[in-house]
Amino acid sequence: MRSSKVRPVHSRKIDTENEKKGKRFSLKMQKKLVVLFMAVLLAFVTLSVRLIMINKENGENYKKQILSQQTYDSKTLPYKRGDILDAQGSKLAYSEKVYNLVVDSKMILQSKDALEPTLAALDACFHVDIEEMRKYIVDHPSSQYYVVLKQLSYEEIAPFQEMQNNKKEYPNIKGVWFEEEYRRVYPYGSLACDAIGFTTADNVGAFGLEEYYNDVLNGTNGREYGYLAEGSNLERTTKAAKDGKIIVSTIDANIQGIVEKYIAQWNHEHEGENAYRAGELGSYNTGVIVMDPRNGEILAMAGYPAFDLNNPRSLSGNGLYTSEEIGAMDNDAYYEALNELWRNFCISDTFELGSTAKSLTIAAALDSGCINGTEQYYCSGVYEVSGHKIKCNRRIGHDMLSVSGALEQSCNVALMQIGQSMGADLFMEYISNFNMGLKTNIDLAGEARTDTLVYDPANMVASDLAISTFGQGYNATMIQMAAAFCSVINGGYYYQPHMVKEIRNPDGSTVEKIDGRVLKQTISESTSQTMRGYLANVCSIGTGNHAVPAGYLIGGKTGTAEMYPRKTGNYVVSFIGFAPIDDPQVVVYVVIDRPNVQEQPYSSFAQEIAKNIFTEILPYLQIFRTEEISEEDEQHLIDLGIIPGKVGETPEDEEGEGGEGEEPEEGGENEAPPLETDPETGYVKDPNTGQWLYPDTYEPVDPTASCLDGIGAMVDENANPVMGEGSLRQ
Amino acid sequence: MASGKKKKIKNQNFFDYTLLFVVIFLIIFGLVMMYSSSTYDAASDHNGDSAFYLRRQLFATVLGVFVMAATILIDYHIWERFAFPGLLISFVLVILVLTPLGIEANGARRWIGIGPLSLQPAEVVKIEIILFCAVLINKVNKKYITTIKGMAAILLVPVIFALMLWKITSNLSSAIIVAGIAVVMLFVADSDYSKYIIAALLVIALAAIVIYVATHWEGDSFRLKRIETWLDPESDPSDKGFQTLQALYAIGSGGIFGKGLGASMQKLGFLPEAQNDMIFSIICEELGLFGALAVILLFVLLIWRCMVIANNAKDLFGAMLVVGVMAHFAIQVILNIAVVTNTMPNTGISLPFISYGGTSEMFLMAEIGLVLNVSRQIRLRDAM
Repeated sequence: MRSSKVRPVHSRKIDTENEKKGKRFSLKMQKKLVVLFMAVLLAFVTLSVRLIMINKENGENYKKQILSQQTYDSKTLPYKRGDILDAQGSKLAYSEKVYNLVVDSKMILQSKDALEPTLAALDACFHVDIEEMRKYIVDHPSSQYYVVLKQLSYEEIAPFQEMQNNKKEYPNIKGVWFEEEYRRVYPYGSLACDAIGFTTADNVGAFGLEEYYNDVLNGTNGREYGYLAEGSNLERTTKAAKDGKIIVSTIDANIQGIVEKYIAQWNHEHEGENAYRAGELGSYNTGVIVMDPRNGEILAMAGYPAFDLNNPRSLSGNGLYTSEEIGAMDNDAYYEALNELWRNFCISDTFELGSTAKSLTIAAALDSGCINGTEQYYCSGVYEVSGHKIKCNRRIGHDMLSVSGALEQSCNVALMQIGQSMGADLFMEYISNFNMGLKTNIDLAGEARTDTLVYDPANMVASDLAISTFGQGYNATMIQMAAAFCSVINGGYYYQPHMVKEIRNPDGSTVEKIDGRVLKQTISESTSQTMRGYLANVCSIGTGNHAVPAGYLIGGKTGTAEMYPRKTGNYVVSFIGFAPIDDPQVVVYVVIDRPNVQEQPYSSFAQEIAKNIFTEILPYLQIFRTEEISEEDEQHLIDLGIIPGKVGETPEDEEGEGGEGEEPEEGGENEAPPLETDPETGYVKDPNTGQWLYPDTYEPVDPTASCLDGIGAMVDENANPVMGEGSLRQ
Repeated sequence: MASGKKKKIKNQNFFDYTLLFVVIFLIIFGLVMMYSSSTYDAASDHNGDSAFYLRRQLFATVLGVFVMAATILIDYHIWERFAFPGLLISFVLVILVLTPLGIEANGARRWIGIGPLSLQPAEVVKIEIILFCAVLINKVNKKYITTIKGMAAILLVPVIFALMLWKITSNLSSAIIVAGIAVVMLFVADSDYSKYIIAALLVIALAAIVIYVATHWEGDSFRLKRIETWLDPESDPSDKGFQTLQALYAIGSGGIFGKGLGASMQKLGFLPEAQNDMIFSIICEELGLFGALAVILLFVLLIWRCMVIANNAKDLFGAMLVVGVMAHFAIQVILNIAVVTNTMPNTGISLPFISYGGTSEMFLMAEIGLVLNVSRQIRLRDAM
């Protein structure tokens, strides 16, 4: 505003007065002030130039720097790992959304009155140590990410979220949020644990299907992020997570359950303080594979002992170790024990197959034309091959046997002669055609390599061929034997065994169907047909009659393989069988590694399990009974719930089929002998002591006696460490 | 700028509207920029109240309008008699910071407060030193000033206050400003150049030595560390280097016309003190080089008007008052922009009328009021 006050006009006179009163700002000072102003101007020009230089030289770089700092609202949206379904659509594994409770100290401390109400709310809803939390928040005021509790279910966090959203009553709950995550859940617990496998943190599959199909099951994380649109406006975008694919396994949870039930039952009967190896489990391992020979689908695959997939890092709960033993383990020992528990016996462990391989030998001999099925062989109980006296399993000999008889009685001597008629080269050609020495490439992680565990025909000596004919000397895995056996009985088609029959999108639409894949023809259709007959004889009149379920005819082969080193009394006993005999729809292969009994070499242990499995799964697979059943058997089936019971009849307490299996089984061609006779070896059992005796002399049998004196096996400890580990050795 | 060429207006008094409008524009622009750069901090630190800093600054500005009106209207010669009592008041105010009345914020005790009001004694000291030096230079003989003794006599009190501000309130930047104002006023009053040129060369040499030592000495010293950080802010991207780097990012990312008012990203929690010492970098980011140079131009205009008014002032006292104010503005603006552009080491100096700070705003307006009062007393006949 301009002052309106009228001031006196200054005259020169007054000026001089002024100069007297107050000094003037001299011309020299005025000039100096101009100099000062110039200096200031120069400073401003310098600074302006500096501003321009910063923009010119680093402008682009700094723009990027600023954008790179804009990460404050970017958030990962976790994907959901795909389910694993069984053949009927039941969920074997699925991922469930869980929530981590995260505390942001900075945000809590930013407003004065948030700490106590927030802690009170946390105290009311969660089991957390409030004092410890208060200490953490106060000690770490700048912390923005502190995970207090992990993997809470929605039900667990719901009350707190309600409080958070109720701003009227709880206005000061701050700095708490829930981070979403998925947790893998296995609703059946330990069912098919070896085949399914589990996941470690961050959805990395370990073992089994989880490992093999890891990439299929996993999806891609989504992201919610802010970015700067035109005009530097912050915009939010959500890139949704891509969930993993669903795999449909060929495993049938019902069959798997039946299999595991009988594995556990047999092992429970042979474990504990009263067992031969006191305090140990019923066997070192018991493996069962149930397979569909028509397409190579694995219907069940089980090992023993099992572990809980929901808690795979626990060693307790399966009777393998006592809590004192677990406590005494150091870290290495603990993980070694866990790895032992996690391995899938059916595909990772190799062993000498034993007599089940006789089915392969005879099929090969028939198919190659070296024998025609009409041959007769004489067995004296021992057969000399290039200086080695190799004994038959029946020390007293089988006398004269036909080809079928050799299989029925599992005669080593006859098999050695059949092998000789083939020669090493042809024999090995067939053996490798049965995929021995090669991986089956089943879709599971951890299949053992066996390429160094079979003979090279060029280096094979006569005794090598001789023992190979009855399944000693070379190693294989269960899955190799099961797949090879399927081809023997299904017309000669070697199917690649597989565990997954379908891959689906998260929405359920099919991505890929995996059907049976025939890799090769091992034997001819007609040889296969002949073999079905022979193998049926094994179960009806031969050594396999303990495996026959009531009301059915099955085919199969027993096996008793002496473990290496020999003469220690350690055996792997097995049975592989199929049903129905004319149109095989299911193969059951049972292997027991070192049964916990004084005298191990009796395949009846494996037959017992196989029979129990057949009894339940054949009706389930809608394979109908063809034979008459006795009243006793009927009652047993009623107890199992397989056939409906008669009204008003109470089930009688029966030991029956659940027993030791050494007693003679039901009907058929088997007359109950006065003394219990082992069908495979011909020994008889002393009814008083339970000791096995030679039937002619009634001298006790030496349990460590071996058929294979002085003959080695393909267990080369230095050959391949992975494989070496896989071979069963004492 | 008035030109007294017409006799008609001979009897009219001059009033520097240019300066007034420049100041009004700076104040309003300052409020807008301060609001823009402080909303994020205000919202996050004060319960979502994004106008927290704006309201406080507005309050100080309204008070400042009254103070400025008073200083425009009251004859500046009246202040002459307050120079010496003012020294005592300033001294007491600085000492009060040490009493329970003192307020500590951001790790420094620089304020005194009564009830809801707070005051920064350093701002009082600045205006008092301007007044005191003007009175002193007016009093002593022109010849006496050129002697070392005379210089010492004039600089003694400002240096004492500067040391007090530095040691008691640990406010080095205010101490530099106080001492700087006194030196500039002395420079203008003194007819000699050589002493100042020598002194300036000495300062430059000392700075060079310090920089040399800082870069070659392998030891651990807080101050040398700060110089190292200055020379290479990326060597210490946390702490002080962090602030400098973030300021540079802001400046560099603005481009020629900036991202637009309110569109700064650096103010969103990245640049500490965005509404305070570092506000100039936010201006660069939002309004670009264009906005930054315009602001510099406004300050140049302000300083130029001060020069013109001083050169036409009625008497030496009035002229020296204006020189003091001019020195105050010039030093503070130059140092602020130099810090923001990392041309000199980081010391907390605010940008007049634009940075947040109520006391500063009020006293700067009072100083402008003084200058305008001096301008009012210019007789147009004398004006160039």
